[in-house]
Amino acid sequence: MKITCQREELREALSVISAVVPARGAKPILETLKLIATEEGLELVGTDLEVSARISVKEAQVDEPGVVVLPCKVALDFVRDLFSETVTISCEQDKCIIRGGTDQCELVTLDADEYPVISHFNEKDSFSLQGGNFSRLVQQTAFAAARDGGRYAMHGVMVEIADDEVKMIATDGRRLALASQPLDADGRKSSAIVPTKGLQLFSRVIEDPLDQVKISFDENQAGIRTQNAQIFARLIDGDFPHYSAVLPKEGEHLMEADRDLLSQKLRLVANVTGDEARAVRLTISKGKLELKGHCVGRGSADAQLEVEYSGEGSEIAFNPDYVLEGLKQCQTETVRLEFQQRSSPGKFILGENYIYIVMPITIDA
Amino acid sequence: MEISPSAPRIALLPAVVRDQIAAGEVVERPASVVKELLENALDAGATQISVDLEEGGTRLIRVTDDGAGMGPEDLALAFTSHATSKLRDPSDLVHIASLGFRGEALASVASVARCQVISRTAESETGHRLSCEGGQQGEVTEAGAPLGTTLEVRDLFYNVPARRRFLKRPSTELGHCLAAVQRAALAHDGVGFVVNSDGRRAYDVEASMDFLARIRRTFGAELIDHLEAVNVNDGDLILSGYLGSPRISRRDTSRQIWMLNGRFLRDRVLSRVLKEAYRGVLEEGRQPVAFLRLAMNPAAVDVNVHPAKSEVRFRDQRRLFGFLVSALKVAVHETDMATPGESMLAGRARRLVREENPLQGKLADPGAGPQPESVVRERSGRPFVPGDDFISPGAVTQSHPANPASAPLQSSDPDSDPWAPTDNLQGPYLQVGKTFLLRALPDGFEIIDQHALHERLTYELLLQEVRAGKVEVQRLLVPEVVEVSRADRVLLEEHLESLSSLGIELASMGETSMMVSGLPARLRHPDPAGLVGDLIEVIGRTGEPPTASDVLEQVLHSCACRSSIMAGDVLSQEEIQALLERARAAENDQTCPHARPTRVRFTLSDLERAFHRR
Repeated sequence: MKITCQREELREALSVISAVVPARGAKPILETLKLIATEEGLELVGTDLEVSARISVKEAQVDEPGVVVLPCKVALDFVRDLFSETVTISCEQDKCIIRGGTDQCELVTLDADEYPVISHFNEKDSFSLQGGNFSRLVQQTAFAAARDGGRYAMHGVMVEIADDEVKMIATDGRRLALASQPLDADGRKSSAIVPTKGLQLFSRVIEDPLDQVKISFDENQAGIRTQNAQIFARLIDGDFPHYSAVLPKEGEHLMEADRDLLSQKLRLVANVTGDEARAVRLTISKGKLELKGHCVGRGSADAQLEVEYSGEGSEIAFNPDYVLEGLKQCQTETVRLEFQQRSSPGKFILGENYIYIVMPITIDA
Repeated sequence: MEISPSAPRIALLPAVVRDQIAAGEVVERPASVVKELLENALDAGATQISVDLEEGGTRLIRVTDDGAGMGPEDLALAFTSHATSKLRDPSDLVHIASLGFRGEALASVASVARCQVISRTAESETGHRLSCEGGQQGEVTEAGAPLGTTLEVRDLFYNVPARRRFLKRPSTELGHCLAAVQRAALAHDGVGFVVNSDGRRAYDVEASMDFLARIRRTFGAELIDHLEAVNVNDGDLILSGYLGSPRISRRDTSRQIWMLNGRFLRDRVLSRVLKEAYRGVLEEGRQPVAFLRLAMNPAAVDVNVHPAKSEVRFRDQRRLFGFLVSALKVAVHETDMATPGESMLAGRARRLVREENPLQGKLADPGAGPQPESVVRERSGRPFVPGDDFISPGAVTQSHPANPASAPLQSSDPDSDPWAPTDNLQGPYLQVGKTFLLRALPDGFEIIDQHALHERLTYELLLQEVRAGKVEVQRLLVPEVVEVSRADRVLLEEHLESLSSLGIELASMGETSMMVSGLPARLRHPDPAGLVGDLIEVIGRTGEPPTASDVLEQVLHSCACRSSIMAGDVLSQEEIQALLERARAAENDQTCPHARPTRVRFTLSDLERAFHRR
């Protein structure tokens, strides 16, 4: 094979692929990427068997079609450090030559037949939505998914399509983020748990937020198609918590506060809490919110701010990290907190169609 | 046996047979004879006792003392049963201060061996001799003798072939005899002991040696390094001695010595005391090393329980138990538990003492009074000072390893030296196998087991919170449902309230499932199902509520273990530093709750030794 393409485009494609391909794979073949040159252009394929990516490089000039499998990291590093504007890739027997201007490297290739089979995007039954909306949903939820420990099903984001609406829900058992967005689905329904890593890669390949993207759900994988990329993620097979059952109804206590001020004061007080088990106590009275952090053997901190609140005095304690992570995603300038009592969930309204629930920490149980 | 019909069926046994039966209880093997004779010698106020053995004591046991001795009248009764100088009337039994008192020993021994006693009192100019063979007593005759008593027991069990056949090889019997002498030597400061076996010196302790020196002579010098002194009293009860660090624990109890008023004991209550004191720092199946002396009013204890007197009955057992356990626990936690390159260090410490400070080294002269204790305490009280001072040859003070030139011979407290560099726990750290952390120290390096350390921390902090009644509970958004058996559900339901005070919020959900709705916030990645399983196991096994102190510890252990950084978590440099800083602040970070060590240290000198630079 022999192709020539823009170095910058190739580099960008390679960097997406290398986000998928593990640096240390179980087998050498899993540390590689596959280049496919056809009449239609150049396509790069990478996988870690959980997540797979197909990225096409625009405006590649294919002189000779062919397929080659080569080490991913070295290829990316070499292309990144090349000086030239264009890059030529050619193959001779078991060698692949990457040339840019006067400089070149020869890489040992692997047997292309050993490379895992990666599917193509299935247009049938796919849903179409605006790229920017899709990545916003991911951003608003993925942070709440379990990272390590906890139930396996919570290591992903639940994507649910029903009633002409797409919902994403993520939880680690202590907090839950739920964001939704209208979608033209012709009444079709679908739902799947997509691993967080795959979903984040989905939104990474969305170049223009105004472009439409297509998503689809097979039996065991979810896929997204943008103009130049197709990403597939193997679905998590498990029981996602019945989130609708844990969504609190309207709480008895209802407070509204300035988002930035609340974040700042919360962060301030959180400085004087423990390293691992952290709790900040929120005491609400008419028009006023008092925050208190304390740590055995370290000390305590107090702060207060004005809030909209007219109910009876009440209090509740949260892990400040959880609350702060949510506030960072808050779309509106004021944030609303609703809760029933100190041991029931706190519901933060962070925007239109965006709810964040944090379970409280109770002391002197 | 043929019984003629007219003869009376019941007859009083002849005295010899009675004594032989008694001998069956008291005299089991040569070592029991040695023990009885030593007790007699000690009761006679001897300060120097020598024991001569032939063929492990089966051919000859000769015990010579320099005690009060016996006059001819006393001597005549020596081999008569229930003749004793130690009791006069029944009320004496209530406060027995002497080792022997039953008056059976010599009579029993004499009934199964060829015995001879030679004795002279200070008042008498000549000594007297009496022999007795198989219970047949001879006449008291005059004989030249030094002050004190010499008792010879030859051909033990010569007239009881059944017994003789049960004797083991002479070397085995010798071992038992030596153990008997060693116990006596450990119990009696101020008395010298010498054992000769087949003409060769087998063991000796000088009269001037103190307890620690006796322990060293008996069990070897390596042990001494790992002992922590105990010295507490409660009214007329005095507990003193030494406890071994958990890492020199053994599979057997041969290094567990309890002495009560100078009497060696093998008592179940006292064994339990040790087990309790080492709970949480000793692995299952390991036995602590301990040499402890109890002194108490003889009236508070009944030693007349068993003829061999190795078991006793305490009058106020519950209070005694509580006092001993809490006193020993303190000492156990002060022993040094970090595990350095053990054999290397021990070898080096010995050599240094020999070479540089043969007489004043801590090992060579354990010193009187609290001195060794303070040295040990200092060392263990500052677990993070780099290169704990195992190698210090300076007896009086701990030489600070980082500035060896200035410290060694001053007797000031190293803590007061404001210029001593502090270890600021700086990296870089190296994580090996996603399990162990390596960190350079100013004069060496240490290896830390991340899981063990984190588990210990989580446990300590949880315990602190529980004790303060302030457990922070992270409520779960989606309660975790755990399937249990019907019986286990009932068991757990009984303890819901006390579990909730530990931060474990449980509720039953139907016949065979429990719902976990909240867990201590401190647990990083709790595993509710595993935890509930552990709870059932612990509560079921002990049958006590989870707040009872020993159950509580086990429950918290399992909480900590089920949530800690597992071996296999990759940690960033910052995470490692945070972990170490928190460890420094914690009370007890040297072992994990399952008593595995959390860290191992190597000093530069260890490394130099390993590379034969020294």
